Amino acid sequence: MAMNACCLTEQEKRIESGAGQLSPRQRINGFLSNFRDQIPRIDIQRAVLFTESMSQTENYPMNIRRAKALNYVLNHIDVVIEDNELIVGTCGGAGRHSILFPEVRGPWFEKALRGAQKSKAFQISDEDIQVIKEKVIPYWKGKSAHERYLAMLPPDTREVIYGNDNWGSAGLLQDNANINTTLNWAGNYKKVIDKGILEIKKEMQERLNKVPDSDYSKMAFLQSAIIVCDGIMGYATRYANKARQLALKEKDPKRKEELEMIARNCERVPAHPARSFWEALQCQWFVQTAYKLEQPTVGVISLGRFDQYMYSTFNKDYQAGVIDEERALELMECLWFKIANYVPFNITATQNYFEGYCHFEQTVLGGQTKDGHDATNELTYLILRSKKEFPLHYPDLSVRVHSRTPDRLLRAIVELIKEGTGFPKLLNDEEIIPFILQNGVSIQEVRDYVPCGCTEVRLLDIDTYMAVGCNLNTPAALEMAMNDGVVDIDGTKKKLMAPSIKATDIKTYEDLLQNFTEAWDFLVQHYYKRQAALEISNAACLAAPFMSMLNDACVESLTDIHQPIRGHGLSKDTGNLSVIGFGTVVESLAAIKKLIFEEKKITLDELKKALEANFEGHERLRQILLNAPQYGNNDDFATEVARQADEIICDVVRRYRTPNGPQNLKHVPVTTHVAMGRKMNATPNGRKAGEALSEGISPTQGRDTEGPLVTLLSIAKAKSNLYNNSLSRLTNIKISPQILTGEKGTRDLMAFIRTFVDLKLWHIQFAVINKDTLIKAQKEPEKYRNLIVRVAGYSAYFTELSPDLQNEIINRTEHQMC
Amino acid sequence: MNLIVLIKKSSVELSLKKVGVMVMKELTGRIVNIQKYSVHDGPGIRDLVFMKGCPLKCIWCSNPETQSPSFQLAYNSKRCIGVESCGYCVKECAQEVFTINGKNNIEMDRSKCINCLKCVNICCSKALHVFGTDMTVDEVFKKTQNQTDTWRSNGGVTISGGEPLLQADFVTALLKKYKTVGVHTAIETTGYAPWERLEQVARWCNLIFYDIKILNKQKHNNYTGVDNSVILQNIKKLTEKFPDIEIIVRTPVIPNINNQEKDIINIVKFLDGLDNLNDYELLPYHGYGSSKYLQLGMTYKLEGIGSLEKEPIYELNQRIRKMLNLRKKV
Ligand code: SF4
Ligand code: SF4
Repeated sequence: MAMNACCLTEQEKRIESGAGQLSPRQRINGFLSNFRDQIPRIDIQRAVLFTESMSQTENYPMNIRRAKALNYVLNHIDVVIEDNELIVGTCGGAGRHSILFPEVRGPWFEKALRGAQKSKAFQISDEDIQVIKEKVIPYWKGKSAHERYLAMLPPDTREVIYGNDNWGSAGLLQDNANINTTLNWAGNYKKVIDKGILEIKKEMQERLNKVPDSDYSKMAFLQSAIIVCDGIMGYATRYANKARQLALKEKDPKRKEELEMIARNCERVPAHPARSFWEALQCQWFVQTAYKLEQPTVGVISLGRFDQYMYSTFNKDYQAGVIDEERALELMECLWFKIANYVPFNITATQNYFEGYCHFEQTVLGGQTKDGHDATNELTYLILRSKKEFPLHYPDLSVRVHSRTPDRLLRAIVELIKEGTGFPKLLNDEEIIPFILQNGVSIQEVRDYVPCGCTEVRLLDIDTYMAVGCNLNTPAALEMAMNDGVVDIDGTKKKLMAPSIKATDIKTYEDLLQNFTEAWDFLVQHYYKRQAALEISNAACLAAPFMSMLNDACVESLTDIHQPIRGHGLSKDTGNLSVIGFGTVVESLAAIKKLIFEEKKITLDELKKALEANFEGHERLRQILLNAPQYGNNDDFATEVARQADEIICDVVRRYRTPNGPQNLKHVPVTTHVAMGRKMNATPNGRKAGEALSEGISPTQGRDTEGPLVTLLSIAKAKSNLYNNSLSRLTNIKISPQILTGEKGTRDLMAFIRTFVDLKLWHIQFAVINKDTLIKAQKEPEKYRNLIVRVAGYSAYFTELSPDLQNEIINRTEHQMC
Repeated sequence: MNLIVLIKKSSVELSLKKVGVMVMKELTGRIVNIQKYSVHDGPGIRDLVFMKGCPLKCIWCSNPETQSPSFQLAYNSKRCIGVESCGYCVKECAQEVFTINGKNNIEMDRSKCINCLKCVNICCSKALHVFGTDMTVDEVFKKTQNQTDTWRSNGGVTISGGEPLLQADFVTALLKKYKTVGVHTAIETTGYAPWERLEQVARWCNLIFYDIKILNKQKHNNYTGVDNSVILQNIKKLTEKFPDIEIIVRTPVIPNINNQEKDIINIVKFLDGLDNLNDYELLPYHGYGSSKYLQLGMTYKLEGIGSLEKEPIYELNQRIRKMLNLRKKV
C-alpha cells in the first residue's frame, strides 16, 4: 500500500526523496562527505604506547603506573588537526577510529583483530596486527584484567558463563566483565571547565604536602593525580604548537585566523578556567579524550548535564554578541563530530550482543537544579535544535523530565521525537530521585544526578562503584524449572541444577513458581560469585588516576576509584544485574497458569513436547498459547502474574551480597535479548526458537495491542514495589507517525509524556517510524543507509544491524491510529 | 418466595426461568469493541466504545460488524492456521457449515449455522470469533476508566457504533457514570431515533458528532435504507435545546454517491439555518472496512471503488466553514 505522505516522519521524507540529510552548516557538511562510507580504523598507538610505559614501571604502585602510562600516551600520541576543525584532539588519528585496551583483553586481540579485519567491521593493516602480536600481546599474556578475573572465578561459575570460550559468554549469563572496566559514567567536566587543571593540580600538591610521610598509598594517589594533570596539559600544549605551525603555513586568511584561535584556546584550556563557549567546548573535549584514553567505559564516557555546565560561557558570549545561535551550533557540532569519530572496539566472540557500532555518550538536558527548580535554559533548546539539524546520530541525547517540566520544553521534545530518529530518550526525576535518596545522599546532591549509558544514573562526586555487571537469561530459568534443571542453549542440553520438585511432580502453578525461584536463584548466585571475583580482581589490577582525581569521594579518601571506597563515597551500583526477557517469562507464566493449571486445556507434558519440537506439528497449541492473557494489555490476570514474577526476581536478588554490598537489578538489554534469543529454544509464550526475547521491561514485540497508554499502565502495574532494588526499567514504545500528525498529535504526545511522569516510570523512548519503511530498508539497504532507528538505549543506522535485530525492530508493536 | 438473581447472560436467564427463578436482569449493552488511544474522535486521547446494532444500512459502511444487533460469527482467514495443522472447526460443527476448499482453508455455508458457537470455542487462533459481547455499565467503565486518573490530554470517552441511540438506556447510564468522575464524553450518532431518546442521551454529552449523509430524501433512502426526515428534525431540535453542547456535523464523502459539490452544498444550505453549530467536517471515504465484510460472509458493494483525493475535500471543507461562519479548524 502506498504510504500517505502526510504520515511520513521528516526522516522518512528525506530518505524517500533521496535527499539524505545535510546540515544547514557548510563546515559540518564538509566533514560529512566521507563519514558514512568510512569503515572505522583500528588505531594501535594507544595500545603500543601504553604497553611501553607499563613495561617500564613494574615496581611502582598501580595508580602511579597508570598515571605514567596515560601521561606517556598523551605526550607521544600523534597530534592531528583535520581540515576545518574548530575543536581539536583525537585518541587515534584522523577520521573514524577505534583504540585498544590490551591491559583488559590483550591476549584475545590476535584472534579478535583478524576477525574484525575479515568481517570488514573494522579496518586494520597486517603490519599493525603484527605490531600488536610482537609488542603488545606478549607483555599482557597472563596479566590482563580478564585473565585475572577468570583465574579467580569458581570453576563451576566459569563453566556456566563461558562454556568453552573464555572470551565470549555462552548465552546463559552474558558477562560484560572486562569488555569495559567501568560501569556507565559521565565525565566531571564542570570541574575542569570552571577551575582549570592548574588549580586542581595545586590542590593536589597542597594535599600532598600535608600527607604524613609514611602514608605511601595516599601519597601515590596524589602523585598520580599530579602526573595526569601534567599529562593533559602537555597534550593541550602539543595541540597549541601544532595549530601555530599550521597557521604559519596556512594560505587562507580565514582558516589562518581559526588556527590561531585554536592555538590560543589550547594554551588556555584545560590548564585555566574556560572564558568563552569555544574554550569550554575545547576543554570538554580534552577532558573527554583523557577519560577515553585512560580506560574503556560502558557506553563510552557520557557527556553529563551538558546544558548546565556549558550554560554560563554560552550565555556570556551570547549576551556579549561574541556568538550567535548559528555559531554556537557550529561549535557544538564540531564537538559532536569528534564524538562520532570515536568508535569503541566492541567485537567479541558473541559479536551481536551490542550492535551497530553502538556508543552512547549520553548528553543530558533539562531536569532540576540542586535547589529543586526547573533547570531548562536557552542552551537546552539550542541543543534540541542541533539534534534536528545535525545529520549523525551522535551523541546520544536524553532529557530529564519532572512534574514541573515546562510545556515549552515538552513541546520541543515532542517535535524532535516526531522527526523519527529516536531522540531524545526521557528519564523521570519523579521516579529516579526518590530511588537514589534512599542511599542516604542529600536531596540537593541527588537532584544533580547524571544519566549515563542507556538508562543508568550517577552522582559524579559521590558514586564510586565500578565493577561491570552481567545479563541474566531469565527465560532460561523457567526452562530449568520445567525440565529438572536442564537447559538447551545453542543446541546443547546441559543439566545445571536440580529444582526441588521433579518435572513429573509439578502439579500446581505454585510448584512451578517454586522451581522457577530456585532456578533463578541458581543464576543469581553465579552472578554474585562472578561479581565478587570481578570486584576483587579489578581492585588488584586496575587504577584510574584521572577519573579518581575528578571525583570528590576519591579525593576525600585519597583512594583510587577501582578500590573499595567506604565512608566517603557510595559504593552503589545503579542496577547491575540485568534481567533479560522479563516479558517472555511473564507471558509464558501467564499462559501456563491459565491453560495448564486453571482451564486444564493442555498439560505440561504436551507443552514440553511442543517446545522441544519448536512447535513443528504443534501450531494449534502455539496459537492457544499466543491467545492466552497478555501482559501489556492491562489484563488483570496477566498483570498479577507479572507483579508476582517481579517480586520473585527482586526478592532473590536481595538475598546475596558482594564484598561491596548488595546489588541492584535493572532491565536494560541493549541488544542482548536478540543474541540470547538466538540461542534459546522455543518458550511457552509461543515464541519460536531463535527469535528475540522481549526487551527491557516491555511485553514481547507485537503483543501489546491496546495502544501505548495501556502498555504504560501495564508496565506500571507490574512493578511489585516491595523492595528497593529494581532500577533502570527500560521502556521502548514504537509509534506510527499517523497518531502524531499536526498540532493535535503534538499535544497528545505531550500529554502522554506527562502521564509517563505521573506513573513514575523510570525511562521511556519512542521509535516513530512506519513499518513499511523498515521493510523497504531491509530490501534495499543502499537506499536507506542513513535511516536511524532507536535500538535500545541508543540509536543506530538500521542497515548496520543484523537481520535478526532488524526483524526484532520491525516486530515491535507499532501503535496505530484507531 | 422467589429467588432474585442478578445476572447478565440471557442464556442463563432462560434456564433459570425454567426452574422458576425470577430474574432481575442487570442492564447490559451489546458492544463490538473498545478501542484505546483513539486520537481522531474528539479532543485528546480517547477510548472509543463501539455499540452493536444500527437502524441504517449505508452501503459504504466501514464497520459492517456493528450493523446487526445480534451476535455474529466471523471468520478471519488471515489468522486461520489451516485445516492441515488444525481443522478442528470442521470436526466440531455438527451442522456441516464448514467445508474444506482444497486450499488448506475453510469455506462456510452460513445458512446452516445455528449459532451454537462450538466452533468459536474450539478455534485456537481466534480466526473464528464472534462480533458482539454483552457488558454491564461497570464492566465497560472499568475497561475504560483506568485511564482517567492519568489522563493528561483532556481526552475522554466517545460512544460510537452502530448507533448508540439504539441502546439509549445503557448509553445514558454509562455516560452518567463518566460524568460522575468528570470524564469528557462524546457520542457519534446518525440521529435516526425518536427525539426523546436523543434528548435523554444528549444531556450527558459534552460533544456530539452528528452525521448528515445526504440531503435528498430519495437518495438517502436508496443508500442508507431509511428516510432522513427524523434525522433533519432532530438536529434542529438538538441545536436549539442544547446550546451548551458542542455539536459537530459530519458528512462522509463517498465516490459517485455524494462527492459532487452540489450534494454537499445542499447539506450546507440546510445547516445554514441551524444555530449553535460548532463545526462541519467532511470525511473522505476510505475502504478500510472491506476485509470485515469478508469475515462476515457479506458482500461489499463498493469493492474496488478506490479512495478519494483528500486535498480537494479539505479545501472544500475550509470554504464551507467560511460560508457557515465556523471557525477555521487548525
Ligand atoms: S456456530 Fe455452531 S453451527 Fe455455526 S458454524 Fe459454529 S459450530 Fe457450526
Ligand atoms: S479451528 Fe480456527 S484455526 Fe483451526 S482450521 Fe478452523 S478456523 Fe482455522
